[in-house]
Formats: sequence, structure tokens, C-alpha cells
Amino acid sequence: MIRHLVLATATAAFAAAVAVAQTAAPDRWWKPGEGRIFPAQLDYPDGNGTLRLLLDGGAIATKDHPFFTAIGPNGRACVTCHQPADAMSLSAESAARQWERVGAKDPLFAAGDGSNCPSLPQGERASHSLLIDHGLIRIARPWPPKGVTPDFTIAVVRDPSTCNLDPKFGLASATPMVSVFRRPRPVANFKYIEAMGFAYDPKSGMPLPVDSATGKPVSGNLMADARVPSLEAQMRDAASAHLGFLKNLDAGDIQRILAFERSVYVAQQADRVGGALDADGALGGPRTLEMSAPGRLGSQGTPVWSEFEAWEKMPAAARAKLPPAVRAFRDSVARGARVFRDKTFLISDSAGINSPIGFGNPVRNSCVFCHNMTYMGMDVAPGQVDLGTTNRPFADPLPHLPLFRITCTGKPHPHYGRTILTSDPGYALTTGRCADVGRITLQSLRGMSARAPYFSNGSARDLRGVIDFYDRRYSIGYTEQEKADLVNLMRAL
Amino acid sequence: MNPAWLLLVSMLASETPSARFVTCPVYRDTDSGRKSGCWLADDPADGARYDVSAAPTKPDWNHAVLVEGKVDSAAGNPCGGIVLDAVRVSVLEDACTRHMLPAEGYKGRRFALPERNVRPLYEDRERPAKPYAAGRFTIPFDFGSSFITYQIADYYLDATINYALDVAPARIVIAGHAQTAPANVSGQRLVESGTLADERADVVRRALIMRGVPADSIVMAKPAASPLVAAAFDGITTAEPRRVDVTITPR
Repeated sequence: MIRHLVLATATAAFAAAVAVAQTAAPDRWWKPGEGRIFPAQLDYPDGNGTLRLLLDGGAIATKDHPFFTAIGPNGRACVTCHQPADAMSLSAESAARQWERVGAKDPLFAAGDGSNCPSLPQGERASHSLLIDHGLIRIARPWPPKGVTPDFTIAVVRDPSTCNLDPKFGLASATPMVSVFRRPRPVANFKYIEAMGFAYDPKSGMPLPVDSATGKPVSGNLMADARVPSLEAQMRDAASAHLGFLKNLDAGDIQRILAFERSVYVAQQADRVGGALDADGALGGPRTLEMSAPGRLGSQGTPVWSEFEAWEKMPAAARAKLPPAVRAFRDSVARGARVFRDKTFLISDSAGINSPIGFGNPVRNSCVFCHNMTYMGMDVAPGQVDLGTTNRPFADPLPHLPLFRITCTGKPHPHYGRTILTSDPGYALTTGRCADVGRITLQSLRGMSARAPYFSNGSARDLRGVIDFYDRRYSIGYTEQEKADLVNLMRAL
Repeated sequence: MNPAWLLLVSMLASETPSARFVTCPVYRDTDSGRKSGCWLADDPADGARYDVSAAPTKPDWNHAVLVEGKVDSAAGNPCGGIVLDAVRVSVLEDACTRHMLPAEGYKGRRFALPERNVRPLYEDRERPAKPYAAGRFTIPFDFGSSFITYQIADYYLDATINYALDVAPARIVIAGHAQTAPANVSGQRLVESGTLADERADVVRRALIMRGVPADSIVMAKPAASPLVAAAFDGITTAEPRRVDVTITPR
């Protein structure tokens, strides 16, 4: 009887906390150890409307939960860099706000990776400029990569971060490291990110990578440079690299983090102009992600971004009742989906596409060539592609980032020759292969309105910047209307 | 004599004239949808322009290519060249000046999914019936390469691995081959090293193991004894030395 009473009281308290979490408006920023309830459904306004997070399986208490609790000496938790309001990533806007509100004392700005270099004076804004202004976290990769004899050398051409020339943390230090600066990837929708649609990675010509810890294949869509194969390994890597945690996470912590990460779904739910993205038969928002089968190829099943086809098929009478602005937005999103799928252009000199698979250089195709996974826009056949976001001559100038000179010592790079200028060698820092310089794992395209800037190095400040980069890189020749439609599509994802 | 006339004479003399040459490729952008571009290659011997678009490996406009193929006299002229089908293209290291032609009235081809494509894991796969027979498989390679090429080598590799997994074999014998006999093609001496045969065999071995085939069931063999499965080459005999043969003996 007493046991039942205690259980009932605890349940009531939890329900009350859930209700409070859903009705009150707590701070957008989740600090480690706050002990909030993470409700089954959580909405945040963003610049384009409303982001929605769904927790498959219902609300959880985050008190003492290892994802939400600082487990290392730097005061960080996983949630520090994977904020719910930022689609489980971290926007540059949020980083800047935390600097304004808290300054260097916020664990986000921990010296290890939340500053341009740990040896800089940590109280100064300039020492954290890459995080504050560009949302970039320092990723220090060992050089040469572990267990690999590289077929290229790397030299620092310039380094405004100072870290690659730093006597303690740089390339010439006792433990040589290459510091690159990258955006945190969203910790959400992992059903899709971990999905294995095919048994092979055609970009490597081999079966999917095998996790040495389990002997099982993994999707190959994790981490910008594929430095670890699984979420478990990512957790261990992040715990030591980003949380300052010196010991391994225990099995219980790992299972709790995994259970949380695999239950979170994120997508834009409503647009400030167009309204609900799942209205009138459309399938926008995270509920479709939660309910659908992952890892499906759009070209052989449900076409990518066909979530919005219902808006094209609405009866004229129903359409006429919509406010003109809503109708115009819906039309634009639907057009954007078609441009994404159908507008072809010549893709050239992009390793991972034009080499070594055999598609040819150039090859005519559309955005959906690579962003081919239904509902997510990732690559079902996984792997890394060099879009040119980090490699000259295609990359934007990016004067705030380090610039490295890669010299291929074996075969030349299939598209760049022997010498490459890059701000981030990407996958090559894992494989040690010159041919992989600048190749980056494709990202999820959901919840984008909440997590600017874009690309792994944050080089696109906004969604229009993404479109403009592609337009320049591949001489696509988008019209202004097509650009606007693609931006509207992406803001609706 | 006009190259086209020469070709016609050749076609009359033989049902399936073939071509083998090294050249710089030319891309014709017919803009007929995804993967619709035409790949053209001029034989330096007579200047005849061939359409090599049907090759599983497409050219790279920055590099020379080795073309090996058979003329398909019934294929029309969608790209502005004599159609080779079947055809194999190998991308070589020699540099080329990239060149692109406009459509110039040629319609190109709409993309159609090749018959040799690996199916997704979420589709049901037909399993072999008992009693299991011994399986023989051949995985083809491009010249100078040990890369498993999309929609040709991966198709045969996948068939090999699936069979190995399905029949739980007692013994898998892998034999790598390379084109170690030199050939003079378009004035170039083309020859592969013997180590490439080993590299190719090792790629197949690693792929089998990565998919879950027990390593201790695999035996690496010398190439001499292994028979090939000709279907992987579509009758292009000059490509046959570049392969890995796998024999699977069920329990």
C-alpha cells in the first residue's frame, strides 16, 4: 500500500514536472545538471518558425542523466554543444548569446576546444572568436593518423587560430596535432543516420565499415571525418576530447546516452509564414521521421522531399481559402523540392563523386544524387564527398580559418594534382590518403532553421549561403526564383 | 579512306567489330536528365569517333582512357559516335585537356538503371536452393586498378559474398589475375604488375571478411588454375586478364 502510494506520488510529481516543462518557458539554453524534464514534445521558436523535438518513448527526467550532466572537470555535458533549441546542434547565435550572458566562465568556452587554442588568454573574446562568430569547435587530430602511414605531408600556410603553430598543441609539438574547426553535428534522427540501406560504400568500393568493437557493420554516416565508426565510440571520443573526462564512460552511462540519442527526432514543425508543415496532407515535421522506415533510397521508393506533394494536389477550392502568403510559401516549398530533385547540373572534380566510383568526371545530376535518403537527405550509400567547401580553389576565402598545404607524396590527387591548399583535410586526417583531402561525410538536412551556420566549417552563414555556394561551385545557374524556392524548402525541413 | 567507310567494311566482314585504343575523352552535354551525358573517344589510329557512354566506368575528362569494346551497329547514333556496347573504359594517369561539346542536336540517352546493380538490404533476396552447388564467380577490374567499380564489379562481388554467406561454405578459393603480358595499344605499352593480381585478390578477401565470411574458410590461390566466368566481360576478351576468380565449395 505504502509502496503504491510512493509510486503514485512520484508519478504525479513527474507528471506535474512534465506539465510545467510544457507550459512554462524556461531558458532556451540547457545548462548541465539543471535537472529539467525533457518532455515528449518540445517546441522552440527559431528565425523561420517553430522547431519541434519529439522524444520517442515519452518524457525523461534529465537529473543525473549522463547526456545532461557534467561528467568531466571542464563542466561540460553533451547537451552543452547539442542544444535542443538548436536542433540538437549548436548555432553560432547561441554561442554568441552565451558569451554575452556568461562570458568565458560558461563551460561551452572550455579551453580545450571552445577556444581557438588552449594556450590563448581564455578571458578574452578574441580567444574564442571561431566559436562565438562561426559556431566552430576545435577538433585536434593526431598527426600522422594512428595506425596509418600517410601518402601526403601537411604544412601550415597560415593560422589565425595560432594552434597549429603552437609549441604545445601544434604540428611541431611533442604530440603533433592538426587543429581544424568544425560545426557540432545534430544529435537527433539517428535511426536514419545509423541506417544501412546497402551493404557497400561505393565511394570506397568496399563493404560498409565494420566496428572493431562489435564486429558488426556500421552505416558510415557518422562524424565529419569518420574518425570513429559508432555512437558508442563517438561518445568515448567526445568524453575525452570535449568533456575533459579522463576515464571511460561506464556501460550504464553509455546505454542511457544511447537510449536518449536514439529516441530524439528533430525537424521544423511550423513556418512563420506558411504555418504548420504537416497541414493539409503534408508530412513535414518530426512525426513523419519518428514513424517512417529509415535508410530508403528516394529514387527507388518515396521521392526525397515528397513530404510536400500534398500541397501541389490540393483542390482549387481548398487552395483558394488559404491566405495568399501561405499559398505562396507552400507553392515555393513544393517547387523547391522539385528543383532539388530534378534540376540537374554538371558535377565535376569532386572526390567521392567523380572519383573513384566510376560515375565519370563530369556527371550530370541533381542535389538528390547525393542527398538521396528519403525524409533525411543524407546519402544512403554512405561516405565522404569533397564539395570544395574546404579546398582551394573552390572554397570561400575563410580568412579566419587555418590554411594547410598538402603535398601528395605518392600518386597525385585525382583532381587537384600534387599540392592542395585546404582549411580542413577532412577524411584524409583519418585515412592518411591524399585522395581524401577535403572529403566530408554528408549531413542531415533536418532542423536547419535552428542551427546556422552550415557546412562542416560553418562557411555558409545562412541557407541562401548554402545555395549560393553550390551555384558558384558547380556553375548551376539557378534563377532567383529557384534559389528562393530552395531556401524555403530547406527552412521547412 | 574515310574512317566511317572503313568501319562499315569492317562491320560487313565481321559481325561484331571491336575497338581497343588509348585516347583523351570528350564529354558531350546532351542535358537529357541525370547521368545522361555522352562520352566520346577518338581512336588515334584512324580518327573514328566512338560513343563509350555505356561503359560501367565513365571517363574522367582530365585523364586519358583505355577503351575496349564492341560495336553495336543497331544502337543508332544518339551521341555523335559509333556506339560501343559492350564497352569497358579504364581511366589512366596520363593527363588530358578537358573538352566539352554542346548537344549539337544529339539527344543522348535517358538514364536507365543498369541490370547489374546491387540491391538494397531492405529488399528480400532470393536464396539458393539445396543441395548447394559449387559456386564460381569472377569479379572484373579496370586496367591498372584494384578498385571495386560501381554497378559492375560490386555486382559480381555482392553475388559472390551472398553465395558464400548463404551456403556457409567449407572452402573459398580466391585467385587474383593481372594483365602481366604487355600489349601495345595506340603506341603505348600497357602492362600490369604481378602485385596488382595480389592486391585485387586481397581486396576481395577483405570484402568477404567484412561481410562476415570466416577468414579461416578462405584460401588464396595462384591464378593459373582458376577458370573465369565470361559473363563479367560481355565478350571483351582483352579485359579478361584483369579479374579475381572465386570458387566456393559448400559443405
